Amino acid sequence: MAMLISLAWLRDYVDAPEPAAVADRLTLAGLEVERIIPHAVAFERVVVAEVTELRPLPGSGKNQIARVRTGGDLSEVVTGAWNLRVGDRVPYALPGSRLGERVIEPKTFLGVTSQGMLCSPIELGLGEDAGGIMILDRGAQPGADLRQLYPPDTIFELDLKSNRPDLFCHLGVAREVGALFKLAVRPPEGSRRRLKSNPALVTIEAPEGCRRFAGRLITGVRVAPSPAWLQARLHAAGVRPINNVVDVTNYVMLELGQPMHAFDHARLQGGRLVIRRARPGETLLALDGKERPLSPEFMVVADATRAQALAGIIGGEESAVTEGTTAVLLEAATWEPRRIRMTARQVGLRTEASTRFEKGLSPALSLPAVDRAAQLIHELAGGEEKDAADVYLEPLVPAVIELSAGELERTLGLVIPSADAKDILVRLGFAVEGQQELLLVTPPAFRLDCHIPADLVEEVGRIYGYDRIPSTLPGARTAVRELYQQARSADLAKDVLVGCGYEEAVTNTLVGVASTLRVHMPDAPKALRIKNPLAETRDALRQSLLPGLLEALSLNARQDQPGAGLFEIGAAFWSAGKGSDFPHEPRLLATVAHVAASSAGAAAVELRRVQAALRLLAERVGKAPIEFQPAQPVDGFHPGRTATLIQDGEPVGVVGELHPRVLAGFDLPGRVIAAEVVFDRFAQPDPPVPQARPLPRFPGVRRDLTVVVSGRILGNELMQVIRQRGGYTLREISMQSEYEGPQLGAGRRSLSFGLHYQADDRTLTSEEVSASYERIVEGLKERFQAEVRS
Amino acid sequence: MQGGQASGTADLDQLVRSAREQIAAAPDEATLEQLRIDLLGKKGVMTATLRGLGSLPADQRAARGARANDVKNEIESMLTARTGALADARLETIGEREWMDVTFVPALARRGHLHPLSLILRDVKAIFSRIGYEVALGPEVEDDFHNFEALNIPAEHPARDTMDSFYLEGSPLLLRTHTSPVQIRYMQAHQPPIRIIAPGAVYRRDATDPYHGSQFHQVEGLCIDEDIRFSDLKGTIEYFCRSLFGADRRIRITGDHFPFTEPSAGAAVSCGICGGAGCRSCKGGWLEILGSGMVHPQVLRNGGIDPARFSGFAFGAGLERLAMLKYKIADLRAFLDDDVRFLRQF
Repeated sequence: MAMLISLAWLRDYVDAPEPAAVADRLTLAGLEVERIIPHAVAFERVVVAEVTELRPLPGSGKNQIARVRTGGDLSEVVTGAWNLRVGDRVPYALPGSRLGERVIEPKTFLGVTSQGMLCSPIELGLGEDAGGIMILDRGAQPGADLRQLYPPDTIFELDLKSNRPDLFCHLGVAREVGALFKLAVRPPEGSRRRLKSNPALVTIEAPEGCRRFAGRLITGVRVAPSPAWLQARLHAAGVRPINNVVDVTNYVMLELGQPMHAFDHARLQGGRLVIRRARPGETLLALDGKERPLSPEFMVVADATRAQALAGIIGGEESAVTEGTTAVLLEAATWEPRRIRMTARQVGLRTEASTRFEKGLSPALSLPAVDRAAQLIHELAGGEEKDAADVYLEPLVPAVIELSAGELERTLGLVIPSADAKDILVRLGFAVEGQQELLLVTPPAFRLDCHIPADLVEEVGRIYGYDRIPSTLPGARTAVRELYQQARSADLAKDVLVGCGYEEAVTNTLVGVASTLRVHMPDAPKALRIKNPLAETRDALRQSLLPGLLEALSLNARQDQPGAGLFEIGAAFWSAGKGSDFPHEPRLLATVAHVAASSAGAAAVELRRVQAALRLLAERVGKAPIEFQPAQPVDGFHPGRTATLIQDGEPVGVVGELHPRVLAGFDLPGRVIAAEVVFDRFAQPDPPVPQARPLPRFPGVRRDLTVVVSGRILGNELMQVIRQRGGYTLREISMQSEYEGPQLGAGRRSLSFGLHYQADDRTLTSEEVSASYERIVEGLKERFQAEVRS
Repeated sequence: MQGGQASGTADLDQLVRSAREQIAAAPDEATLEQLRIDLLGKKGVMTATLRGLGSLPADQRAARGARANDVKNEIESMLTARTGALADARLETIGEREWMDVTFVPALARRGHLHPLSLILRDVKAIFSRIGYEVALGPEVEDDFHNFEALNIPAEHPARDTMDSFYLEGSPLLLRTHTSPVQIRYMQAHQPPIRIIAPGAVYRRDATDPYHGSQFHQVEGLCIDEDIRFSDLKGTIEYFCRSLFGADRRIRITGDHFPFTEPSAGAAVSCGICGGAGCRSCKGGWLEILGSGMVHPQVLRNGGIDPARFSGFAFGAGLERLAMLKYKIADLRAFLDDDVRFLRQF
């Protein structure tokens, strides 16, 4: 949450140096200054005027004529506002004055000349209120330049951390500035009157939601607009002025960090407050004008009969302080943070108060806040403290933390003299006893975030300055280790696929259960669903990478990028049975290749290319070479063009053309080749290290073999016969090309193989090779009625 | 045998003359080769002539033999000369005959590209492996203990507000909101010295915009040993940031807050665009890139490590953030869109 801090206000408590230096050190100390905003009013020649007479503008139902006095001069202005009364002090833009870009000139309405203009807050840039003329307090001197009431200032926009609610106020930031620059801090003074706590005034019926409640009854107040200085400060901190009493409660919150509320005592049934849970069916008309139903989980501040405020979040309209109020009951309470968080979330309302309470304010703040507010109300609205309550059921017990000099040095890596450490802690409000080696430190009552020595080390370190800590690297006692092994196979696999022309993709882990393509993985069970998805298309964990990759192909096709080839290596999630069991997270490798043309031939070429890439992948990172076998029907795949990847006799994945019906679901034209393997099963954890063999000493012999077969005889089967018949000098058989065509006749294919013969102990004779070749030809004829062409 | 011819050398002179004419007239190297075979080959004229010497009387044999050898040498050198001349002539015109348009360069067959997250992660891994870190991985589906409790984030802790989570249906498990649970798992399985980085996908229930997404990636670091200090954290961060972004970058360490570290610190590098003066891409000249701190004693205990004996630091950064800064990627959403026009830029 951003907090606006006025430099002028800050300087009430500490002689802060120039803005850039303050911002710099605050940021280093963890109070990040997001922006430094120069703050100055955007008007010229606007003065304080006293309304001396009001009369209707003849012929107009909308406007009236105000006679105003500025010093000795009297002027007449026509105004459309009706919130004026004789005796009010108002801002008056003189003829020729400037409001931002706008220049005010005399103007005639129905024959009456209006000299200048009476201004609303929004016209002056002093607030959002456009409803009427801005009413200044009666102490403002007619004729005074309004800019003197709104002097230039600098605003720091702070991004504060949630563990430091004590910093959400000017005094809290002043304390940090005091510690950072070694400057004295002057806290503001509150009322010194001590009234006995009256148990009849405030009762806590639900202690689980309220740690402390301090109340103060002030009678005889005169509610009126706040003086300009107070309005100016609230304005600087982004808070809208209401009236002097309400403004004081907001001012104290911005000053001391304790949110407050003021009730009109006369409107409270029974004249007392009850802190309780809301009753079933109870509602509250809140200050924002909305009537809200209340849940019995919510804390409320009620009078004898009904809820008057949603505790720690927003006050109620009924008992709000208005101009007619003469007796005010002030509240400074400490609400249980979790319940505030829960309530604010359920109600959908985050206020200045709730954001402070949900961070966990210290109960120690409440009493000083009431004292301070009572003092200010007395100064600004008169009145007298009549009654008080302070219900504090389980007071905090301060704990002493031991901080040794050794701990500081061991944690930070630099020697900070004990005296310096002590000085820093004392300036931050800690009580420090002990000397030199061991400091006994009691955190200030407003800090609930310090419990262990490391917390104090942080305080000392950040104020001393992290920039003054040296930069070192840890000693080299660690054993020399390798990077985690699996990562290397994955890296190598990525390089191989990139080399084969595929782009690496990273797709969403969350997929739509409806669109999940079932892939024939031996043990992928049903999908794991997300209880609270953001969208229906992201309501399950992926079991396969293919749906995400197909989405990406589809996106690319729509972006005029047909023919894309993508791969991904990533986790899939396979349920392990019971819901509470961790699912298996097998790492999968998947590729998809889009074939823009819709011809079967074009898809066949791409399928062969993907298969060749997989074979290469197996050679580089696989546990063993792979073979392809025609697959049993696999969901989502083409029934005639799908193979199972077999490694050491076990299935490790699938490759094939996708079924056209699947593509229709992804709105993909053309055809798609896809493959998916269980990477951790397929790949060695560590890629195999190449092992060099001596080069052959004798020349080898190459022969080509072209076989024409009829029907669905598989290349694998031909290979097997060639290998069996070839003899031990046949070292390598490679599949080379395939041909189908009119010259061969229907249903016939010719397959070409390359044969490589090699002996270790002699130069092979052509007779030897020919004999092997003839045995192969014979075998192929016998088994497959194959024809061999040479 | 024809005695007159056999004893004289007129036929040989004739042979030389005819060979000279034929060689001179040969238009190309193939014709010359044929001539060489006809004249000097195994079945050629000269071979027959030399073979015929044996049947001559000894007195004639020497003179004719000498002449025949001369003729053979002469033909050989004529052939060689002519071959050379023809080759020279051919090379003379090679530029004309074999001219190519050297400005027309079609692309190589398709080349693929690594995803920018892989590229940045490789950099990060290489940087940390140089100072002895290994890579540790953990599951993406986590339990409350590892993701929150063990990291000092009990139920209702405000930090959970910033890490809104996806839960599995019918299960207490959730998708991890950060890579920090890997710290706990690694500590539970290993005693110090520990030096790991833990990269991986994390999930938050946030709406998607140019800077936020419900799925992104982090890299976590953890170093635990006897006598690890804040200064070591600072040095490690400086080493990392300068290695990744350039030696001229300045590093700023500021106070920060995380439930699982104490003291905590944030790190920013000086902006590479404005050099630290402040611009639209940075915050007052600085780019925040990671959160860090000394591991909280309770977190060490939760991992089964004695905080009285060991201390350590941890840090975490968003991989997308690092990649966005390094490769000037403007929109986080590009990482999961997998538009090939984006992927092919890396």
